[in-house]
Amino acid sequence: MREQRRKGPEGSIKKIGIILFWILVWQLLSMTIHNSILLAGPVEAVIALKHMILTREYWDAIMFSLFRIIGGFFFGSTLGIILAWLSYRVSLVEDILRPFISVVKAVPVASFVIILLIWAGNRILSFYISALVVLPLLYINTLGGLKATDIKLLEMAEVFRIPMLRQLRHIYLPSVYPYLHSAFQTALGMAWKSGVAAEVIGQPLGSMGNGLYQSKIYLETADLFAWTITIVVVSFLVEKLFLKIAGYSIGRMKRSLIL
Amino acid sequence: MKIYFKDITKSYDGTPVLDHVNFSIDTGSDARDILLRGPSGIGKTTLLRIIAGLEKADSGSVEISMGEAAHGGSGLKVGMVFQENRLLEHMSSVANVSLVDTSVSEQRARKALGEILPPEALDKPVSELSGGMKRRVAIVRAMLPFSDILVMDEPFTGLDAETRERVIDYIMRNKGRRPLIIASHEVEGLPKMRELVLEQKQL
Repeated sequence: MREQRRKGPEGSIKKIGIILFWILVWQLLSMTIHNSILLAGPVEAVIALKHMILTREYWDAIMFSLFRIIGGFFFGSTLGIILAWLSYRVSLVEDILRPFISVVKAVPVASFVIILLIWAGNRILSFYISALVVLPLLYINTLGGLKATDIKLLEMAEVFRIPMLRQLRHIYLPSVYPYLHSAFQTALGMAWKSGVAAEVIGQPLGSMGNGLYQSKIYLETADLFAWTITIVVVSFLVEKLFLKIAGYSIGRMKRSLIL
Repeated sequence: MKIYFKDITKSYDGTPVLDHVNFSIDTGSDARDILLRGPSGIGKTTLLRIIAGLEKADSGSVEISMGEAAHGGSGLKVGMVFQENRLLEHMSSVANVSLVDTSVSEQRARKALGEILPPEALDKPVSELSGGMKRRVAIVRAMLPFSDILVMDEPFTGLDAETRERVIDYIMRNKGRRPLIIASHEVEGLPKMRELVLEQKQL
């Protein structure tokens, strides 16, 4: 039988221990290779990060990418949810959108990046790319949640002529929420990865992707790792913050719904 | 107001369920309430769903007063008790009742629910109530808002004899002049009503 996963302080200590173990593996590997261009060790990466943190460009780059990627995430999410609602209400809209959603899902991000570079330039590229990556995810999940709404409750709402806004809040939202939650979790991570990848390809000056690329050009592997750590940490913090706010709002709404 | 249900027919996949059902209700008459009877699967629920506008009849019409034929959906404002409770389980009884009509104040909902439910059941999420309690919430939800007609599909399911008596008393006291169409196998305790018997169509 599998050992049960431990929660609480014991679990946290275990987690930290595992992270330390992998950092140690990284350090040992870099010491074995002994070439900071091929593989910079964790100590070098932390030193590089320390230097970067003290510069204004570092924070400007974070803000540059953050606003565009998060902006794209919200834009894509909102559009995905609205389109899902329209598809749910009018099946013709769903039929019309089906090929578009399939194409957006299937076409590699790099292709979109090149097309958008031609059409829109590189300054706002990560905004569009994050939106494009997030849109089908939110669309498909929201539509799934809407279709899973209990038909019996919808009939009840029809008979009693419950206004649409009340139906949305009390009948549709509880059904769609689990779908939205999992979609948002996946979408946030994907928005970050694709957004930064778009910046690496498109090279907008002063972005995180640009910083990552510059490190590669000048073979500054420690800087490359420092930027990667930054991207992971910012993405992690944004995800935690967003899900916390979403969880808090939903919790409040649920409590208000009971009475 | 007079409501005429004329030649209502309905079939599913070629199997007739309702075959030229005719009846009328005069809301001014003392005989405005109807007890819908017939064996299981004969189409009682289908007829109630047509009255509520949830299904369309294949042919026939529902006419209100002097005209306005509405093929299938009647256009009537219906207070309905479904065969299942169809309550929002995460919400309290009071919230479930208030939800269907904003003009029903919380105080009014509490008072009405309090007539047939113990006080401690009013603020709990419906998911924590027994089947019989849920049924009573569904009945109050149908009764309280404004409606032209009351339609109840097996409203006494899950109620013991004593509770059923209280619920029948509640319904009859509060229904006012609204006609009541009730499909129920459990007729004990119900006041005398006009009966509409649906019979098996001879194929």
